[in-house]
Amino acid sequence: MRTNPKKWLLALIALALGTLFPGMALAAGPIPQETSYGLPRDVSADGHRIDWLIKVTLIFVTILFVIMVIWMLLAVFKHNHKHKAEYDHGDSRHAIMVGMILSAVIFFVVDGNLWVNATRDLSQAFWNFPKAEKHPEAVRIELNAHQWAWDARYAGPDLEFNTADDIVVLNDLVIPIDRPVIVQLVSTDVIHSFSLPNFRVKMDATPGMTNRFWFMASGKRAKPGDVVEIGCTQHCGTNHYKMRGTLKLLDWEAFQLWSKEASASSKATYDEKSPTRNWGWKWKRFPNEPDWYKQQVDAKKRSAALSSPTSGTTAVATTERESN
Amino acid sequence: MSAHAHADSGHGAGHNPFEQHIHPPPTSFFYKYIWSTDHKVIAKQFMWAGLVFLLFGGLLAMMIRWQWAFPGTKVPVLGIFLRRSGGIVTPANYQSIFTMHGLIMIFFAITPLLIGMFGNFCIPLMIGARDMAFPFLNALSFWTFVVSLVLIVTSFFVQLGTAGAGWTTYAPLSTNVGTPGLGQTLVVAAIFVTGAASIMGGINYITTVIRLRAPGMGWFKMPGTVWGLWLTSILNVLFIPVLGAAAILLILDRTAGTQFFIAGAAGVQGGGDPLLYQHLFWIFGHPEVYILILPAWGILVDLVSFFSRKPAYFYKGSVYAMIAVTVLSAIVYGHHMFVTGMNPMLGKTFMLFTLIISVPAEVLFLNWLHTIWKGSIRLTTPMLFALGTIFVFGLGGLTGIFLGTVSTDLYLHDTMFVVGHFHLTMAAAAFLAIFGGIYFWFPKMFGRMMDEKLGKIHFWGSVVFITLVFCGQMLAGYSGQQRRLYDPFQYTYIKHLRSLNWWTSMFAFMLLGFQVPFILNFFKSLIAGETATQNPWQVGTLEWTHASSPPVHHNFDVIPTVYRGPHEYAHPDAQRLLGKDWIGQAEELPSEPHGAAAGGGAADAVAGPVRE
Repeated sequence: MRTNPKKWLLALIALALGTLFPGMALAAGPIPQETSYGLPRDVSADGHRIDWLIKVTLIFVTILFVIMVIWMLLAVFKHNHKHKAEYDHGDSRHAIMVGMILSAVIFFVVDGNLWVNATRDLSQAFWNFPKAEKHPEAVRIELNAHQWAWDARYAGPDLEFNTADDIVVLNDLVIPIDRPVIVQLVSTDVIHSFSLPNFRVKMDATPGMTNRFWFMASGKRAKPGDVVEIGCTQHCGTNHYKMRGTLKLLDWEAFQLWSKEASASSKATYDEKSPTRNWGWKWKRFPNEPDWYKQQVDAKKRSAALSSPTSGTTAVATTERESN
Repeated sequence: MSAHAHADSGHGAGHNPFEQHIHPPPTSFFYKYIWSTDHKVIAKQFMWAGLVFLLFGGLLAMMIRWQWAFPGTKVPVLGIFLRRSGGIVTPANYQSIFTMHGLIMIFFAITPLLIGMFGNFCIPLMIGARDMAFPFLNALSFWTFVVSLVLIVTSFFVQLGTAGAGWTTYAPLSTNVGTPGLGQTLVVAAIFVTGAASIMGGINYITTVIRLRAPGMGWFKMPGTVWGLWLTSILNVLFIPVLGAAAILLILDRTAGTQFFIAGAAGVQGGGDPLLYQHLFWIFGHPEVYILILPAWGILVDLVSFFSRKPAYFYKGSVYAMIAVTVLSAIVYGHHMFVTGMNPMLGKTFMLFTLIISVPAEVLFLNWLHTIWKGSIRLTTPMLFALGTIFVFGLGGLTGIFLGTVSTDLYLHDTMFVVGHFHLTMAAAAFLAIFGGIYFWFPKMFGRMMDEKLGKIHFWGSVVFITLVFCGQMLAGYSGQQRRLYDPFQYTYIKHLRSLNWWTSMFAFMLLGFQVPFILNFFKSLIAGETATQNPWQVGTLEWTHASSPPVHHNFDVIPTVYRGPHEYAHPDAQRLLGKDWIGQAEELPSEPHGAAAGGGAADAVAGPVRE
């Protein structure tokens, strides 16, 4: 790789601007370019499961493909027009048994491996929502996709969605490292798909329904301050290709600091009449699942009420009003 | 040959349940070439339409590739079609281009060529019928198809241009919410109309195969080509109505103010359900990919055996495998929707069914490979294309399992990996099989041979570059490049794929270039090709053994009686009694050897009967 002086210059300028205006640094952190073909950098806690499965299966299918090609080449060169063809319908018991056993072995090894590992990965990680929801420090984000941007909302200090102190950001999201991030997403116009290639996950945002997924940045693979990209993977109209966002990874303390500042600045510009500020919803509980979020919020409010009686009454009152 | 002379055998056939009525050939230009009910003429009509639209779809692909190699720069030559934007592909042009590339290739190039052309030409001739069961319906099918072509072409000239919601036409993008204008409506209407044409064809093929097989032509004596086409027709008739329903509902949403697929904003449960469209589309859409490959598999089963001069290995197994795929294709469609927020239980079930499809696919591959093993392979152009199809379909099939598995699909879904994968199966495999079939049946269709030298240049160029193009796409997707991006390099993490995209585009342009030998060969052979004998490939299926090249209007003077399967090569009795390495399906085996047996004679056969 040749070094690109322009890139360094840009990075320097960004750094300088970032020192002057902290908000800007969050929005436009320098994203390192990938240098080689292959899976992009993995910064997630579970993406390695997918990478492993892809790579192992790639080895299997490469072996099968190479055998097939060698077989075809040998046949074409060895059994050419000079070779006397064998009269064989291949329907003897022996031939059928061999074929069946070969097919079964390939199926159980290659597809079986895929099935077992994929099912396990889904129930242990990607579709294991209780694991994420139960985590006391899980970060929850509501996402509203529209042509051609991502509106994101964090609950803010009051832990309630769709209130004045919600953190509201456009396209440039911030998450903590080593904490599960649960996203509930919707769309206002057409179908979009929120894709995080560096986490190996994506989920459609469809009008009329609330979808969810979760992911977690890993401290082992990412360092605080890293920025990765968000892409839209579902064709959503002419500017589909511009529906790009960024995701900045911070450590837990920096994230809390950011939350506090971002909430304050969101609150300062809050306008209760603006529909672009009030699209949020009460964190959705999915069927056949306990309302973990409510339990967590209640627990937090109870402990807050114990430490300061005055603010505690209001918090309890809010909870009661909600449950009615 | 006058039809009149043979009419006797037709009319006097009351006692023979297999004899079919002989109609006199039409004499006027209109009934001979325009409203013809002759399956051979209709096959050629589908062929011309399909080839023209194949070129159309191919040129659209070149514009996409130009945009990815040189984003935002003037398109050479084809730029004249983008006058309003000064020859540059704009984001709005771009979405129309990839949408129409997909739709045209699937519905107006592969479908007419693979099903319309081969279905019409091969089914009656290969099963020993004088025509389709419903000749009028057959003509109606073609002209309904022409109506859809008119709708498609018109859509390019209306205000706001043609469709732009992707070939899958996902709602609500395909409703007025995302794609206003008459163009999208016309295209959805065209899909509906072409679907109607396919259903008419399908009903005809199914009935013809069931009712009009020659005496002795049992199910397992039918050539693989007929099996493939028959199973495809069943899928067509079962699942195109679902697409038709989706299209009608979508048209209502666009024009009548209904809200089948339009939902309220931001988590508000209101109106219709966009996911309903996806379910309807993929209930049809997944069988559709097998609709487009089953005839190719059938052709492969036959060609591989014919040119290895060896019986098709475990032929019954291949047929059962195709039947199994036909059945399974109906219950796997959910793998297109793994990231739509599907119920986990449903996702895992669809994953299991999808993976099970690899079992019949393995059986087919093993059978093809066993067929060429210990054969006496003749590398004619059709055989090269058949082997090329196995090669690219191997690549495409093996890469499919990554997408059928939920967890790996989470990463690969909607990336260029998907694009590369389905192009290898649906485009590369289908087109190589189509070309193989054209080289194989051209002598029967037009009575002239195609040029082998030009054919081989066409083959090598096509197979090399088609593989490189789609493997390039898969590598880009594996590295994370999403599909359908006007300018992929907006994203930093795929900026380094610019040179890969450039190379892939160059390979695509080369691929187009290597179609020139085919076009030259096609017209050269049509006008001045070497006259074809009745059975230039020395194979045993009825269209070669009992019909002239080209066949007469009523195909067979006397409907042949079938004694054996289509793949009797290297038969020891044939060597001994007939002095050639094959026996026709309707050829009686003499009890004693004699020299002048049907199909050419011993001297001819010993010298190596098959052209190379």
